[in-house]
Amino acid sequence: MSGIRGHLSLRAEAHPGGRTVIDEQSFSAPFHLSKPYWDGRVLIVQVVNPTAGVLSGDGLRSNIGVGRDAALLVTTPSATRVFQASGAPAQSEQRFAVSDGGWLDYLPEPLVPHRGSQFFQSTTIEASAHAELFYADLVMPGRLGRGEAWSWDRLVLALRLSVGGDLLLCERWDQSGAEAKGLATLAGREAGACFANLVVVSPRLKEAGVWTERIRGLHREGCWVGVSALRGNRGGWSVKMIAEDSIGLRAALAEVRESLAAELPRLRSLPRKF
Amino acid sequence: MDPARPNSADSPLHEGSLISSAFQPFPVWLTALLQLNDTFYPTGAYAHSYGLEGLIAEGVVRDRDTLERFLNVSVVPGLRQLELPLVAHAWEGLHCGDWERLARLSVLASASRTPKEARAASEAIGRQRIELCARLRNAPLAVEFLRRAERGAWPFSAGIAAAVEARVLGAPVEAALSSVFYAAVAGTIAAAMKLLRLGQNGAQSLLTAMLALAPETMSQALHVSEAEIGWFNPWLDVAAARHETADARLFIS
Repeated sequence: MSGIRGHLSLRAEAHPGGRTVIDEQSFSAPFHLSKPYWDGRVLIVQVVNPTAGVLSGDGLRSNIGVGRDAALLVTTPSATRVFQASGAPAQSEQRFAVSDGGWLDYLPEPLVPHRGSQFFQSTTIEASAHAELFYADLVMPGRLGRGEAWSWDRLVLALRLSVGGDLLLCERWDQSGAEAKGLATLAGREAGACFANLVVVSPRLKEAGVWTERIRGLHREGCWVGVSALRGNRGGWSVKMIAEDSIGLRAALAEVRESLAAELPRLRSLPRKF
Repeated sequence: MDPARPNSADSPLHEGSLISSAFQPFPVWLTALLQLNDTFYPTGAYAHSYGLEGLIAEGVVRDRDTLERFLNVSVVPGLRQLELPLVAHAWEGLHCGDWERLARLSVLASASRTPKEARAASEAIGRQRIELCARLRNAPLAVEFLRRAERGAWPFSAGIAAAVEARVLGAPVEAALSSVFYAAVAGTIAAAMKLLRLGQNGAQSLLTAMLALAPETMSQALHVSEAEIGWFNPWLDVAAARHETADARLFIS
């Protein structure tokens, strides 16, 4: 049996008064949009999935654009659960485009791949040379509350980032739960580890600075943090974090955003309390 | 003893002997490939640990056992999904003279390595290998690659360089993959010998065990499409990122 085919299309544009507004939107189940909210810095949009989660065979496509000088924060109100696959894997294709002067902050709640699940996520981000963005992928190892970790069948997270037409990053996490467990066990985290893959891009970040030192300083027992410049000298950076639990990951994520906020003040906008 | 008949130990192999009848036309690329993988060959690879030093600093790799697990769960999958497929696709692209594909693969090879040090290591080794190939062998293909890379600002990488070398030498893709597999595993173990309590015999027994995985790994790598190329270990990436600013270190990466 095939799953749901849902789409989300969203375009944010800067209003002459300085605010950002949704210029175009279109969506179908399981996507639903909450009412956008302008917090004085960014337009906050919650993408709601009113179903229990992502099911076998589901096909989700989203296309989010940020126009010149517009500022958009996209988030989700709750974790995205991926359920056991009984047939075809679930697939999600995400595309983002950010124009010069535009700001995109993509901060969804974590992905939780359940036992026996198969999920393929493909993300493409195309940013203009003078665009800015913060992108986050948060992944739990499973339902830790039930003692379930590393039990999914296959998880593919492919991320492709171009800035000004130049490919800066092409990452592919393609692991079975057993393979991921092998890595975690080697690092002493067999029981579970929560992972955040962050990408930040801004022409203002071409050089390392106080913010890189602050992020590096977050590394400690139980929470690994690394920051490294992406290729191309276009102000692209990768921040990877691994924490023992979701609380530790959230705390570190909040600190990373605060560390960057002096350079990118719109990171002070939060969809919720961390 | 008849002085007219020389001792068999001194005589050359005669036609029809066991060895001469088994002798096959010698693949000329074989000795050249041995040269490319010799520590005597100046690629600069010996100066890199490819993130291992960072993982040792974090206490993840501590001894022979954890080193073997690291090779199994991280180095070999990385070869299977990233480095070896890049070599195979580049080898094929060079065969077809598909320079657009080579340009795309060169950028992909660079963009697939998130930590700056890992990227810089591959780039430095790749550039050195192709320049040596062009200089030592006066190889038009290597010269042409250098010309196009310069003009198109292609990033260099060790994997693409291995494909160029194999093409220049006329080596089959399996030989190119074997060479890269060996270099990666042996290079990691050699780096570990400087960082851990790991002796010659322990290192060689580990290398022998890992090389047994080469045929299956290479076979799987040949089935990875260009769109599927990529693999990373988040713990290794964090350790490599932290190595960039480590107070004390033995290796460049």
